[in-house]
Amino acid sequence: MTLETIAGLYNYWMVIFLMMTGFYIVLARKNLIKSVIGLNIFQTSVFLLYITMGKVNNGTAPIIPPAIVEAQKSAHESHAGAAAGGVAEHGAGVAEHGAGVAEHGAVVAEHGAGAAEAVHAAGDIVYSNPLPSVLMLTAIVVGIATTALALALVVRIREDYGTVDEERILELDRGE
Amino acid sequence: MIDAIDSHLAILLIVLPLMAAPICVLLGNGRAAYTLALLVSILTFACSVTMLDEALEHGVIYYDLGNWHPPYGIEYRVDVFSGFVLTFVSGIGAAVLLYAPMSVRDEIPASKHYLFYATYLLCLTGLLGMCVTGDLFNVFVFLEISSLSSYALISLGKTRRAPLAAFQYLILGSIGATFILIGIGLLYQMTGALNMDEIAARVPHEDGPRTVLVAFAFLTVGLCIKMAVFPVHTWLPNAYTYAPSVVTCFIAATSTKVSVYVFVRLIYGIISPGFAFNFLPLDTELMFFSLAGIFIASTAAIYQDNIKRMLAYSSVAQVGYMLLGISLATPTGLSGGIVHMFNHALIKGGLFMVVGCFVLRLGSVQMSDWKGAGRTMPWTATAWVIGGLGLIGVPLTAGFISKWLLLTSIFEAGWWPIAVLMLVSSLLAVVYIWRVVETLFFAEPSEAAAMATEAPLRMLIPTYLLIGGTLVFGVWTTYSAGIAHAAAIALLGEAP
Amino acid sequence: MNIIVFALLALLAITAVAIARLRELWAAIMFTGIYSFLSASWMMILDAPDVAFTEAAVGAGISTVLMLSTMALTGQGEDIPRKSSWMPILIVVVTGATLVYGTLDMPALGAPDAPVQLYPSPSYVERSVEDMHGLPNVVTALLASYRGYDTLGETTVVLTAGIAVLLILRRDPKEASATEPSAGDEPA
Repeated sequence: MTLETIAGLYNYWMVIFLMMTGFYIVLARKNLIKSVIGLNIFQTSVFLLYITMGKVNNGTAPIIPPAIVEAQKSAHESHAGAAAGGVAEHGAGVAEHGAGVAEHGAVVAEHGAGAAEAVHAAGDIVYSNPLPSVLMLTAIVVGIATTALALALVVRIREDYGTVDEERILELDRGE
Repeated sequence: MIDAIDSHLAILLIVLPLMAAPICVLLGNGRAAYTLALLVSILTFACSVTMLDEALEHGVIYYDLGNWHPPYGIEYRVDVFSGFVLTFVSGIGAAVLLYAPMSVRDEIPASKHYLFYATYLLCLTGLLGMCVTGDLFNVFVFLEISSLSSYALISLGKTRRAPLAAFQYLILGSIGATFILIGIGLLYQMTGALNMDEIAARVPHEDGPRTVLVAFAFLTVGLCIKMAVFPVHTWLPNAYTYAPSVVTCFIAATSTKVSVYVFVRLIYGIISPGFAFNFLPLDTELMFFSLAGIFIASTAAIYQDNIKRMLAYSSVAQVGYMLLGISLATPTGLSGGIVHMFNHALIKGGLFMVVGCFVLRLGSVQMSDWKGAGRTMPWTATAWVIGGLGLIGVPLTAGFISKWLLLTSIFEAGWWPIAVLMLVSSLLAVVYIWRVVETLFFAEPSEAAAMATEAPLRMLIPTYLLIGGTLVFGVWTTYSAGIAHAAAIALLGEAP
Repeated sequence: MNIIVFALLALLAITAVAIARLRELWAAIMFTGIYSFLSASWMMILDAPDVAFTEAAVGAGISTVLMLSTMALTGQGEDIPRKSSWMPILIVVVTGATLVYGTLDMPALGAPDAPVQLYPSPSYVERSVEDMHGLPNVVTALLASYRGYDTLGETTVVLTAGIAVLLILRRDPKEASATEPSAGDEPA
């Protein structure tokens, strides 16, 4: 095992340690609320596992800066306009279209130039993968729903048994 | 118009019960909610039958949600196998609702009825959603919908042990779901895809990368908890015993079967059987656990005096037969496993309905209180006998068909000892079914049983619908074993 | 940047262990909130601000409140210490070892050639520019459109939980009087 693999995987091992701590709390604790806490830690750590997968070196959050969005939009429009004028340059990259805006001067010249620059810059931006984030947004909500349901059950059990300690409850049941 | 509906059946199947659930809550009235739920469940059943028919005739049905094609969007994918599972799940969902009102009135406080029916519909939505979707993460989401609603339904039991049983199920079930989530994550990491077909095409098979192995292991363990495979079945006996009768009927007949469905998809649709069974010795492991489960759970069932608990242990044993079929990986064996999902759903659903009838009249599930009830409630008791024969696997009942297919396949493979073990395990079923029959017909009537009257027709008719089904499908197998065979061939053929 | 990450990871580990060892529920719940906040911070560093916000709001906020109110209702402040059994440790160690074994073939953290980054191609970011007519946040695009159906499922989960909580906690007077005798043997 080289240092490189360790450097590339340490974060996963960390996440595994966290997951297993949560899992241990669920398995070992006899207090019902404590089990729910363990479940929470376990699930939160799984969210971390997913989020680590999506990360790219030197990446940034998958939010496209407004300037670039604007540029691409106007590039679109100018492209449409250019096509109507018969000056269409097909097969060109977005950046060229952006540049086309500037040359054409049809749209506000300054803005177009700025947009062209932004689009050039856009080629260099690396975005992290948005999909794990989306999945985890769903999972977080599922997690809180489970927690809420579990806690409602705990309240109900406490009403019926007068305790939230699992062993006490089992003793009470045997005593019946 | 009809064409327009036809092309959207896959989503209609989910949207109908999904939308009806909040409407049930808004209605705020038990009877209105019940009528709506029944109507919707029957419509859902009709949708499933149409889809199964279409899948049989024209092959796999694909439906892109929001018109985003995979890999970008989520896809619904209905083939013969999912159509088959959809049909019996929604069919039993409707039959149990038909049976429900009197039992629900007896066991659940009136102020909760409308919420009960809403939750029931949500549970149905979750189960059906797991069957239609072709997207692995979507399976997790619908799994959680069905799980959360079943925890709530189980907690409605009359005794104070019901919420505790629900809580224990919740903890174990959530651990299972989290394991499944980890497994999905690892598969996603190795393939970049969430659509099952695409994962299957992209998953690296040859050198058996360790990550894929572990992903598979986690998915298997998570699903085993949901299927209640021995030794992670511990949630099931309590949950089935303390839940209200109607809930037990529904969950026992459908919930574990849908998890088995997902497991079959996992082995045959995502990780090929070649990888699962040749590279990993999963077949021998599965066979070991299924046989151990069959014996230990059947033996445990013999010693139960609580009849619901007895049937619950028997369910754990029956899941063993399904897994046995899956682990054989031959067309006959696999179709035996698949048809046993259906047959067992019919039989167990029917038997739990019988239990519900006795509970309504005798107010107990203890064997001692059932003494002699066969004389005052002959029709209900006869239903028990027929269902019991099916459970044992006597010829002319549905249970025989699946056991016959399994046995044939085991003989083909030349595993005599396993065949003998299977026959011996059927004898265990004879013992526990006979104990009840003896109590019902040959014991001096208990006080309650002597006063009891026959169960109401509203409950007997749906009971006989399922129990009669076990006889019908024991003789006429075109639509049970026939479809299961087609499904098995398709599953084995599509494996890369 | 690395120092911050290491510090965060160390803090996360310490918090998790502390929660496992703490007997007092109130403190454990507080630490769970802290754990969520720390996770949210790490998610922020891992380029997932949307998840970080949600985790901070839901994990550290709502769930802490829910747990505290449950504790207030049940009034049980302590996890009674008992002889610890080896079974949970054994299960956890085996599970953890399996997972570590599974990481050995994983692409390294942030590797640009990981399957997750290469597939599907063109990526969601590139597609969403075309499809979403200038919606800057790709996560939103995915959540609401490409995988909008999962979001519907998520909403359904919340609906289910809401109905379920009502179903579990609602008690009508008739039922309360019926269950009184069976609850009679509980100690004060």
